[in-house]
Amino acid sequence: MVETVLLVGIVASIFVGFNIGGSSTGITWGPSVGAGIVTKTTAAAVMTFFVFFGGWTVGRNVMDTLSEGIITIDLTLTAGVAVLFFIGLGMLVANIFGVPVPTSMTTVGAIAGLGLATGTLNYATIAEIITWWIVTPVIGLWIGVLIGRYIYPWVNHRVDIEKSDGPLLRLERRGSIPTPALGPNTTQQELGTTLAVFIIGCYMAFSAGASNVPNAAAPLVGTIDGLEANTAIIIATLAIGLGGFTIARRTMESVGGELSDIPLLAALFVMVTASTITTILSWAGIPISLVMATVMTIVGIGWGRATRPITVRKAVTRDVENRDIESGAIVAEEKVGETAPKIGEPESDEVLRGADLFNPRAIIKYVSMWIIGPSMSTILAYGFFTALPGIA
Amino acid sequence: MVDDVLVPMDGSEMSERALEYALEVFPEADITVLHVVGEPSSMWAGATGLALADDLEEAANEHAAEVFERAREIATDADADVDLDTEVELGHPVRAIVGSAADHETVVIGSHGGSIADRVFVGNVAEKVFRRSPVPVVVVR
Repeated sequence: MVETVLLVGIVASIFVGFNIGGSSTGITWGPSVGAGIVTKTTAAAVMTFFVFFGGWTVGRNVMDTLSEGIITIDLTLTAGVAVLFFIGLGMLVANIFGVPVPTSMTTVGAIAGLGLATGTLNYATIAEIITWWIVTPVIGLWIGVLIGRYIYPWVNHRVDIEKSDGPLLRLERRGSIPTPALGPNTTQQELGTTLAVFIIGCYMAFSAGASNVPNAAAPLVGTIDGLEANTAIIIATLAIGLGGFTIARRTMESVGGELSDIPLLAALFVMVTASTITTILSWAGIPISLVMATVMTIVGIGWGRATRPITVRKAVTRDVENRDIESGAIVAEEKVGETAPKIGEPESDEVLRGADLFNPRAIIKYVSMWIIGPSMSTILAYGFFTALPGIA
Repeated sequence: MVDDVLVPMDGSEMSERALEYALEVFPEADITVLHVVGEPSSMWAGATGLALADDLEEAANEHAAEVFERAREIATDADADVDLDTEVELGHPVRAIVGSAADHETVVIGSHGGSIADRVFVGNVAEKVFRRSPVPVVVVR
């Protein structure tokens, strides 16, 4: 009986890991693959290694929180398997409807529902986690705004990320020992930026492992009948790797394709910021979604850049009535050299304003997805474990 | 007689059908095709990509050019003797469409654009335009 339950649990864990592998490989390597810096296969291989590295080290802290922090008793094996099914359900909804349901939040929600149903919920821990869920998007947005407003334009004018034709490196065979040298069209800067893109991808893969491996692994760990932590991490990594090699080929174009709508340099800023936030929180044992930090940083950078026409002083004193005039001036200044509109392209009658891109109400609607996702999983899990108390 | 029609197009098949309908039913009218760029998407990258462009207006026009080209093809196929006007707006489709509807006599819009994900993030644009528009709206289905 126990063996059967464990087997079902492992299959469920592999399903969850497989899906995580698909989506997180897409986000992590989409921009680099899109820019032609790595191939999809290389991306999947490197992803698997760094996910393992992240899950094995930092991920353990999150795993402790999930398996023994949120509820005061140890998770039983059957309950763990049920939780995995709720995580899987969340992912299924995410895949079918194409909405990013944050897996880490669904996981915490399902375990909290179990805790509520059995009266073993550790309110202090859950309060701490929820606090971080509120604070993190704000921090991500704020860092994004600072980057978009002040740092990005500056760096953008100094760094040029380009991929030249021909191999990046070649072997210089003239000496007695073959040494690597720059490829035919490679410049020093290209070598530097390509390496940077690659290293940042590895860093994000690491943080993806730290935050996501526990989702697939933790529900099976921490019980007498369950798995050893190490075994569970290895199984989760293999499943994530499998997802990376298979469905990620598609997600690199869909989810990763989203990211390739923004310039590679900006994507790199986003990746560094999101990975750092995710790694730090995972290290502190807080389950956090990589997607959440990523999206908020993207919105922040764009919004920060779009609001350049308003000075901080004016924003603070709320004196923004003259915004139209001022943004008109800035836009005009940027368009030195441009004269008539293109043929067949009638001039638009009003000056386009970047701030219109970031309608606060649309952002609120988006953020509400993060409230609905974990709430639904909590309610469903609560209902399930209340109706079937034997499982918990 | 309606002689000034606004057709918001997002590049979807439904929006193309709206244009075909507008050409057929209002053959005498001036038709303005409106395309909204940088609408909310699942990771907001489209909007941010635009905001980061060196020249926002040019980037927006570039995004819209494809839709307008397709619109002109449809007009040519329909043998319509009209010169399509084009208009590019930024941001949230509903706000942009309702905003420019006031300058026209009628709005002809496709009943829905894209996937379920679009519905979640943007809502049903046609439905909201229909409810908030200051001028009559024809919803093509």
